[in-house]
Amino acid sequence: MRVELKHVFKSFSHNSSTLEVLEDINLTVEEGEFVCLLGPSGCGKSTIIHLIAGLERPTSGNILVAGRPVDGPDPSRTVVFQEAALFPWLSVLGNVEFGLRMAGIPPIKRRARALEYIRLVHLSKFIHAYPHQLSGGMKQRAAIARALALQPAILLLDEPFAALDAQTRSVLQNELMEIWELARPTILFVTHNVREATGLADRVYVISSRPGQIRDVQTIQVPRPRHAEDAALLTHQRKILELLGEEVEKVLQDELGERVHFPEAQHAVPPGHAHGMHL
Amino acid sequence: MGKPMNKFEFLKPAQALFLLYVLWEATAWVFPAWPSPRAVFGVLADNFTQSTFRAALAGSAWRMVVGYSLVILVGISGGLLLGRIPLIDRIIGSFAVAVHAIPGAAWVPLAIIWFGMTERAVIFTILLGACGIVMVSTDTGIREVPPLVARAARTLGARGTNYFWFVVVPAAIPKIVDGLRLAWAFGWRALMAGELLTSVSGLGQLLSQVAKAGQLDQLLAIMLLIAGIGIAVDSLIFKRLEHAVRVRWGLV
Repeated sequence: MRVELKHVFKSFSHNSSTLEVLEDINLTVEEGEFVCLLGPSGCGKSTIIHLIAGLERPTSGNILVAGRPVDGPDPSRTVVFQEAALFPWLSVLGNVEFGLRMAGIPPIKRRARALEYIRLVHLSKFIHAYPHQLSGGMKQRAAIARALALQPAILLLDEPFAALDAQTRSVLQNELMEIWELARPTILFVTHNVREATGLADRVYVISSRPGQIRDVQTIQVPRPRHAEDAALLTHQRKILELLGEEVEKVLQDELGERVHFPEAQHAVPPGHAHGMHL
Repeated sequence: MGKPMNKFEFLKPAQALFLLYVLWEATAWVFPAWPSPRAVFGVLADNFTQSTFRAALAGSAWRMVVGYSLVILVGISGGLLLGRIPLIDRIIGSFAVAVHAIPGAAWVPLAIIWFGMTERAVIFTILLGACGIVMVSTDTGIREVPPLVARAARTLGARGTNYFWFVVVPAAIPKIVDGLRLAWAFGWRALMAGELLTSVSGLGQLLSQVAKAGQLDQLLAIMLLIAGIGIAVDSLIFKRLEHAVRVRWGLV
């Protein structure tokens, strides 16, 4: 399904002050496309996810999914949150089955479907484990399986790998890529990591902060699987960093030292690049 | 919890108990009217061979089982109604808080007027003495669904009744268990107060009997038993339950 945001504004009122979070956001995600929203912390990227998920309403403007305005959450648009947000009282299996149960799918069928998606994220050995027994990466795998089990037309990912270590992050990025190529859902992926965005997406929307505005769209035509040192990717990354120069400076201070790793190039980050890739 | 360093930490609980025992023994030696621990434990052990005592103990246990079951039933369903239906909250919300504020023993006179000096009066006392805390904690629990969990549930299609039973209620379980643990302690106190004042055969009533007969050793023996049961049930059942729930819900 195609996602379209037209002149979307969003502000939050707190007491008597109003905070403008999004200003005139126009974006589209074509059916089956992988799009990243890239911007520094606090630029309203997550708010865009919440709006498309139907968890919040825009102050003004239209949000269209397959041409129809979004009116509340729907299982055809599922979300993977940064903190996994698994239900702690349910096992991995219970979590993955949750949406299917809500949809009224009979037990035998929903179990089979849940197991299939658990296998897809390589958690088959942990179907009876509870979230508190899982590592951060395993929790995100479970959350991805839970979101995929509903076979959504649109998968929304809100900085899903931001809290993971570089190794786990890189493995999960590759797995997400495989899953996307298998089922081809429309994906909107939020990140504040330039390498992650350029490594994954067909197109990258670059968003500035306070209020969030779209500064640029980069179409990444590099074929997959992508190599971290690909010259075209580096050019995109440089452009984005220039674009957001000041914002980077702002955010670098609190989030120094993290970067995306590609399996082929784990040690190949040039010294000057090590930090600059992270918005 | 940041407990301040205690320089008597070297004293293990067993050692501390032993010290207490020695002190008791010493005071009994100084004041002959004060029964020695050996005498008290002797009386207590002997009690268990008496059928009247065993019947009293069984009676108390039974009333507690019935009373506490009612507490669970009324407390949780009342709390769910309070949290779920705003009208009920408006009407009896403050009433539940008031019930919660009345000590169990204060219900006994009303219980006696309504039910006479009967077992039902005692059970009523347990119910009213302990269900308030369960209602209040259940109510609090279902109002405090973590926002992230709520959002995840909504995107997965949970709404209405499904949302309530499969998200709100399980999310409230740690709070409900906290309430149940406190309710056990409140209920146990209420049981004793009820039995003491209604003279329905039980540990509480034995307490008043032996006090009237001036049997200090019996009095201490029964009080020890009451404390022992209270502590044992709390640590063997409720503490473990609470811990298990907190671990699973990721709260520790």
